[in-house]
Amino acid sequence: MIRIYAGLLLVTPFLGAATVDTPKLVSLRLLPEQRTLHGKKSSQQFLVLGRYSDKSERDLTGQARFTVTSPASARADEAGRVFAVGDGETALVATAGGLSARASLKVEGSGIDRPFSFPRDVVSIITRRGCNTSGCHGGIKGQAGFKLSTHGIHPKEDYKWIVEGGVFQVLTEEAGGQKKPRVDTKTPEQSLILQKATMGIPHGGGMRLQKGSEDYDAILAWARNGAPYGAEDKASNPKVARLEVFPNNVFLRAGEKQRLLVTAFYEDGRAEDFTHQVLYEPQSGVVSVSAGGIVEAKKPGEAGILVKAVGNLVRAGVGVLADPMPNYPQVSRNNFIDDEVFDKLKLFSIVPSDLSTDAEFVRRICLDLAGMAPPPGRVREFVASKDPRKREKLIETLLESPEYIDYWTFRFADLFRVAVFPVGINPKWTQSYYQWIRDSIAANKPYNQVALERIAAQGYSAPSRHYLPYFVIPPPQDGMGEQVRVFMGRRLDCAQCHDHPYEQWSQDQFWGMAAFFGSMFKLGSNAQGVVFDHPGGKEIAADIAGAKDYRVLHPRTKQEVVPELLDGRKIPYTENNFPRMELAKWMTSHPYFAEAAVNRIWSYFFGRGIVEPVDDYRSTNPPTHPQLLARLAKNFADSGYDLKKLMRVIAQSRTYQLSSRAKPSNEDDVVNYSHALPRALDAEILLDAISDVTGVPEIFSMQLPDAPDSGGQAPRGTRALQLKETDIYHSPFLDIYGRSNRFSVPERNAKPNLSQALHILAGTTYNDKLFAKGGRIDGWIERGTSNSDVVEELYLAAFSRTPKPQESAALVKLIEKNPERKEALRDLMWAVVSSREFAENH
Amino acid sequence: MIRRGCISGTRQEFGRRDFIKVGSLGFLGIHLSQALQLEAATGTRAEGKAKSCILVFLEGGPSQIDTWDPKANSAFRPISTNVAGIQISELLPSLAKRMDKLALIRSIRSFGDDHPQAMHYAATGHLHIPAMQFPSFGAIVAKELGPQKGMPPYVIVPRWERNRQYQDYFKSAFLGPDYDPLTIPDPAGKNFQVDDLTLPKSLAPAAVENRRAFLDVIDGYYRDSVKNVEHAKMDAFRQKAWEMILTPSVRAAFDLSKESDKTKDAYGRDTVGQSLLLARRLVEGGSRFVTAAGFHGNSWDTHSDNDKGHRDRLTPPLDRSVSALIDDLVDRGLYDSTIVVVMGEFGRTPHVNPNLGRDHWPICWSLALGGGGIKTGTVVGKSDERGAYCVERQVSLGDIFATVYKAMGIQWDKEYMTPVGRPIKIANSIKDATGEPIKELVG
Repeated sequence: MIRIYAGLLLVTPFLGAATVDTPKLVSLRLLPEQRTLHGKKSSQQFLVLGRYSDKSERDLTGQARFTVTSPASARADEAGRVFAVGDGETALVATAGGLSARASLKVEGSGIDRPFSFPRDVVSIITRRGCNTSGCHGGIKGQAGFKLSTHGIHPKEDYKWIVEGGVFQVLTEEAGGQKKPRVDTKTPEQSLILQKATMGIPHGGGMRLQKGSEDYDAILAWARNGAPYGAEDKASNPKVARLEVFPNNVFLRAGEKQRLLVTAFYEDGRAEDFTHQVLYEPQSGVVSVSAGGIVEAKKPGEAGILVKAVGNLVRAGVGVLADPMPNYPQVSRNNFIDDEVFDKLKLFSIVPSDLSTDAEFVRRICLDLAGMAPPPGRVREFVASKDPRKREKLIETLLESPEYIDYWTFRFADLFRVAVFPVGINPKWTQSYYQWIRDSIAANKPYNQVALERIAAQGYSAPSRHYLPYFVIPPPQDGMGEQVRVFMGRRLDCAQCHDHPYEQWSQDQFWGMAAFFGSMFKLGSNAQGVVFDHPGGKEIAADIAGAKDYRVLHPRTKQEVVPELLDGRKIPYTENNFPRMELAKWMTSHPYFAEAAVNRIWSYFFGRGIVEPVDDYRSTNPPTHPQLLARLAKNFADSGYDLKKLMRVIAQSRTYQLSSRAKPSNEDDVVNYSHALPRALDAEILLDAISDVTGVPEIFSMQLPDAPDSGGQAPRGTRALQLKETDIYHSPFLDIYGRSNRFSVPERNAKPNLSQALHILAGTTYNDKLFAKGGRIDGWIERGTSNSDVVEELYLAAFSRTPKPQESAALVKLIEKNPERKEALRDLMWAVVSSREFAENH
Repeated sequence: MIRRGCISGTRQEFGRRDFIKVGSLGFLGIHLSQALQLEAATGTRAEGKAKSCILVFLEGGPSQIDTWDPKANSAFRPISTNVAGIQISELLPSLAKRMDKLALIRSIRSFGDDHPQAMHYAATGHLHIPAMQFPSFGAIVAKELGPQKGMPPYVIVPRWERNRQYQDYFKSAFLGPDYDPLTIPDPAGKNFQVDDLTLPKSLAPAAVENRRAFLDVIDGYYRDSVKNVEHAKMDAFRQKAWEMILTPSVRAAFDLSKESDKTKDAYGRDTVGQSLLLARRLVEGGSRFVTAAGFHGNSWDTHSDNDKGHRDRLTPPLDRSVSALIDDLVDRGLYDSTIVVVMGEFGRTPHVNPNLGRDHWPICWSLALGGGGIKTGTVVGKSDERGAYCVERQVSLGDIFATVYKAMGIQWDKEYMTPVGRPIKIANSIKDATGEPIKELVG
């Protein structure tokens, strides 16, 4: 059964009801409902959809019969493709299951050959045959000396490589190698491009064209005609502005088929059927797609299908459903997040885990909102409370707590890279930058404002004094790349040296964006320096380093680049113009901005983004829950980019509050939020937690081992996540647990490693704290706490739960076995802070 | 290809499940011999004479004309070596007597005008791109050859206590934490011990047994109820750590007290000497790659008074310690299976700046390598009369990597795929060409 969902919401009425009755065909529709065919040989593929009594729709194109009411105008083939015959108006009628549907047709200029266009008539063949994918000649440097633009994004360059020959070079526009044309207009059959593609000459890419095929003949005819480019004016040869695929999201059951319709929209607004002129690339084995665009569902799962044509790319999503689960349980929902997440789980017959226990929840929410596990008293109080709204209330308490400010300042200090570099340190810079973040978090400053301040900062404002290693302004491309990754979630960086291999970002667009950061220079000495943008068009003192030349040059063309937004709008440097501010306004109001922000914040609560990695949105790396992302983003934008409101809606969702205990149907799931995925605590949080549980605070010293004292300690009692300039404090623990070096984003690598394991077993952090005086162990001994009370308190402090009776009994027994009680308590303490239950947020 | 977002592809990492199995036996009973068998079954075995590599890293960038490529614009004289026709700077008298054990490359071209970029380039062979992370040379060797004898395959000694971003360049990036270097403190430090490899004095092995008994109880419940956790890999590392601490041969490999005073003196009782001595012990124990980075606090970055720095501070430990290392490896029959590479991240300017210093110079510089079956007693490439530009046989770091790979039996033209599907050459030469093994050295 095929279901097509238009619009935003998934409708799933039919899934729970495994009805005995076979749904009946109620009506038929034929798509597109009307279409004009322009020119000789033009054609249109049609799609027949049957609507059933259970409100589902299925593709009946394969079973339908097609007739054209006026054969003088057009003819239809068995598969539902209509070809122009003569000018006039007519209709296509499709019949299936005793019903019929009509589409109106108009044929114009049926006697006129369309003007030849190299992009449309040749590059589209090259694209459809997969010659210019990024893994082949469309790769960065091409393949075997032959370079084509990825998916034909630059047809003029493709023309040059084919007609003139030569080898692409990354760093210059000059062609390298031999200038041997790949098309031979004198003996067209001998053209290299045809011989290679037909394996007449050995070809690493294998057979791409059959001799005598339509595509082969088209290229041959082009060569015979003298290999022209064709008219370049918009009127006779408009460019394809975008592609559309229908359906763009569909659910099938294994074995079912679905025809896709692909429409190209030209820049002059005209539409043309491209269903048979594109390359379909399924991204997993969940489906297969025929050359003509018929999808076949193979096995349960999700797959994207990339549809590629002349410099354009669009994606269709297909979900292949598992058999419906009988008695799928009713799961209650707290807000729209749950609607999105649970609808999808149900579609794929995955049952979400139970709601977390109070103990699970209290630890998780405290770690996620405040960066620390709750103290035992808080846990007891929370678990004992009978208030039905206690979770909501706890969330509010935490959002307004001082720990919230510490924790989120720490998170953003990492992301925004509050760094100190050892050469000529001027801590004032770092501290004012840190303070700007802290103030922004404390005031819950709208996030678009935060971003605007950071992107456009200049002058004496705090964020302008950031991340300048060695007090050097970063190269414009690095500065821009980072801002786009952080605030728009895209890695434009790949387009720095070449067109982006997976996206439609060109190298020109990259440098157009980089040029916004080209006019930054530093005024004053290293100690006092302040960042300013060159006032465009004005002369400034020639002796100010870096201010002499604010032009950014394109690395290949060596031409000056004018700042240009991704939408093509140019913002040149002119007097009293501040392009970087224009960029900041554009970025923070772009839809990408809210999406990237909610995705990043989401990842802090779930251990992964809806797009993961969080700064790598691509059509080849789509969100797992596109509607959820869209709704979160809209919600966030509507709230005035309020971070606390965003965190609140996430924390209140049942999805967030699910248990980490898996169920049989969900234990393999890691991307659909069917249960909480335990994740390792970050270095600082783990260290603070060890200090809390052992009752021995960490001392942060700037002194290196064996070095003379180089300048003191952080105030006693400072928590790791409160350190303003983390890198000036020597801490092997933080290093091996992957604290950020704040040198570049992504911020940190918290993967478990051997050094951590060695440190747990024998390292100083663990062992010194066990032997330090005045800690929790000493307190127990002084107070004469019983062994079972010791175990209970420790469990509450470390795991926010009480021990199971059998755990308590076993541990008390182990303590009693050791004649030295203090030693036994140390062993117990070591085991608790070394355990995975402690080191993970679950 | 399995993509994120696929329900069917809920587990992406290749081999993860196997790892989890090892882990879940983990603390509860897998033995070292079993762990080693697993290694043997999964690790890549390669033919090639060289089994390991020591990178003697001259942080800061030595002056080529004051070391391997003497010129008239150096303040120092050239001296003859034990190889006829090869002269090096008088600042390296001991190494001159061992020239037959080294090959010199005098025409290295690298990239990066400042330390961060150049260090990244030296560690990985790639230009630094903010959106990407590249695996280091050492991590690649560790991955390709695999661990042996329970030893960590890749070690950095001493670790960077400052400038941690440099150390990050020497990591494994997307290859994963199995191939990250174990980083250890300065072996010339006052109370040197590999802190995390030595149980505290207060902790007898019996007490460790007690701790394990506690942990078995405590983690048992969690382990049973929470499955499929990324962090579960910790169990396997913990097991490995445990075995390392308790395996006498592994602990011994890190124990410098087993060396005689005579040997320690020969290497020199400073950071450079003791790091190299430890590197030799580690390689002997089974480590595949050791980055001996003894010049963190004594950098070759001589922007002022280059000559004094090279003469008094820098070349003496280099000359003494590398000579001792070569002698020691030869005496122990290890030089045939151990490659030694001596290099910095760039060279220094042929001209002197107003502070009598020499600045950064990636355009043309020199390095030395030998051992592991590499042909030695020879010079590859030539610089001009001032040591400023390469005039013959320009060699890239990708070529050096390829040379070491070939000597180790590693396929040097291999590419790895990053998680986003961008191919990365393990030996990356200039203009994205594939590095070529230097034929004069590895035939």
